Amino acid sequence: MRPGTREVDRLSKSLLRRAADRAGPGSRPASWLAGRRIARLGTSAVVVIAALLFPQFEGGNIPVMFLATTALTYGLVAIALNLLMGFGGQISIGHGGFLAVGAFTTAIVATHYHFPPIVVLLLAGLVTGLVGFLLGLPAGRLRSHYLAVATLGFGVAVPELALNMSLTGGFTGVIMPPQQVGSIQFNTPVPLYYLALALVATGMAAVISLLASPTGRRFRAVRDSEEIAPALGVNVPLVKLTLFSLSAFFTGLAGYVFALNNSIVEYSQFDFSLSLFFFAAVIVGGLASTWGPLVGAIALVIVQQQTTSLGGLSETILGAAVVLVLLVVPGGLVALPRLVLRLAAWVWWMAQRVLRRRTLPPPQDPVPAERAMGASEG
Amino acid sequence: MTLFLQLVLSGLGWGGIYALAALGLTLIYKTSNVVNFANGALATVVSMLVWTLHTSVGMPIALSWLLAVAAGALLGALTDVMFMRRLRSAAIIVSIVMTLGLLLLFEGLTGVIWGFEPKAVPLVLNGPVITYGSLAISRNNLFIAGLTVVLGLVLYVFYEHTRPGLAVRAVAEDPEVAMLMGISRRRVVTASWAAGVAIAGAAATLAVPASGGLTPTFMESIAVYAFAASVLGGFGSLLGAVVGGFLIGIVTNLVAGYWSNNLQLTLVFALIVAVLYIRPEGLFGRRARVRV
Repeated sequence: MRPGTREVDRLSKSLLRRAADRAGPGSRPASWLAGRRIARLGTSAVVVIAALLFPQFEGGNIPVMFLATTALTYGLVAIALNLLMGFGGQISIGHGGFLAVGAFTTAIVATHYHFPPIVVLLLAGLVTGLVGFLLGLPAGRLRSHYLAVATLGFGVAVPELALNMSLTGGFTGVIMPPQQVGSIQFNTPVPLYYLALALVATGMAAVISLLASPTGRRFRAVRDSEEIAPALGVNVPLVKLTLFSLSAFFTGLAGYVFALNNSIVEYSQFDFSLSLFFFAAVIVGGLASTWGPLVGAIALVIVQQQTTSLGGLSETILGAAVVLVLLVVPGGLVALPRLVLRLAAWVWWMAQRVLRRRTLPPPQDPVPAERAMGASEG
Repeated sequence: MTLFLQLVLSGLGWGGIYALAALGLTLIYKTSNVVNFANGALATVVSMLVWTLHTSVGMPIALSWLLAVAAGALLGALTDVMFMRRLRSAAIIVSIVMTLGLLLLFEGLTGVIWGFEPKAVPLVLNGPVITYGSLAISRNNLFIAGLTVVLGLVLYVFYEHTRPGLAVRAVAEDPEVAMLMGISRRRVVTASWAAGVAIAGAAATLAVPASGGLTPTFMESIAVYAFAASVLGGFGSLLGAVVGGFLIGIVTNLVAGYWSNNLQLTLVFALIVAVLYIRPEGLFGRRARVRV
């Protein structure tokens, strides 16, 4: 915890206690906590409804729908990466490589076989999961910067392989054929948006339920200490293997949407900066938080879209955001509201103190002088 | 045989550049325990400064190279003081995240300031190719390889035979005990950052003519080779960085000469994974002790 936050924390708690005292003995701070939970649920409900209704307003606007689906796709990758980094403590700067595997698998399978979309989707996830498993085999023995270097190597090797293999179409890439269930065309903007939304919801639900399970507790044990976890009976290499496979699986699902959304898959879409983008999305949104990665991905997609006029500007903003998160707001974007609330509470408390000092006579010493002296002697 | 020797000889140029970049990484890693992912981006800034001094200001190339390398040292020291110093007690992963953030920041800033069109920087040392029998090596490549070896030797003598070098080794060995001995860890780490960025910047500028122009991202792939060289040599070993760099330069050149140069990054990735799997401490590194 950074110095300073602790003080603000204590301040807001004492403020809470005072509010409870003023309200009488019946009310407890717990009611305030319950209010917070309601506020949180309400925010989530508003977000979900807004996401569901979004195509009602912007459905005809193809560029906006493309961006929205891109944001959701990248959000799913960020959720998968957050599972690995935030809850598993394993760094990866090569998730662009996993997205490439998922997208290429989708396009290649859909070109050569006439499987129903659900099969193609699952194949994209499973093939990418298998690649994650294979990368997890050596990565299970590595930690911190060694892991970062290895995943960096993976991230730059995949596009190079895609450029040089005939299966992946080389320089020209693979054109994504349309996907259809009944009368629903998944290569049209609105159905694809809903598909991406459903996958994001599935990914989030899977991560939440996974974290509540014993497996999730093992993840966090490994994250918190790779030395102590084995003493608690945790099989660390197995946990890392699971983490890499699962994270790659969900990134592969995102690859399916990516292929449909871009309608062509080529090596140049997956350069190193894409991996850095996912990495930044997780950090800026809020590492190890539920909504953080999605919020980060959406925010960064908007930043990228707004700064296309000046090359390098979006990277500068991304980099500055990561640095700022580390130095100023450790919880990322999702921690901002709480930070603002705390700041407001502090300002309110200070204002009250100043006002009271002006209006009230100085408070009398509650401890009689003799007793105070006696205490100091004894 | 002649082809083999010629390929080895021309691999020395790139090998020296990888070795210098790996040396920069090693210097920083040794004292601060941080693998600086932003080193390539910082080195690119140095190369851009060389370009500005040479093209816009009109200084001779060697002078602008030296001045920019000095500015690179300042940049490295400032980076440490402004961004890395306050994370020193945090978990290692936080420092890694920070250097990746700095990579984005500096790469972006370079793009904003200098633009993305490739720029040309002339060879620092120009002249006719030196031949020996049927073998040939360009003066620039010979200069790079010689600079690497000389710099490696200078660093070795500094570390092993001078008092400041002893202080650096003490901080690398055990920062707390070093501080108890009256060594300023702050100064040692900041000086390492200065030296690390300066060396990488010198290497980056020398690499520009061979990599087809100076762009904000031209160091990205060179950085991957430098990481591979550090991993191969064992992170934290000076000798390892130099040997690893030359090995990677020569091997990639041999593969390109005999087979194809299409899959160099994939090859390097496979090499990284193989080294880390078989011998995580690299060729010259020491097996890391884990303290709980």
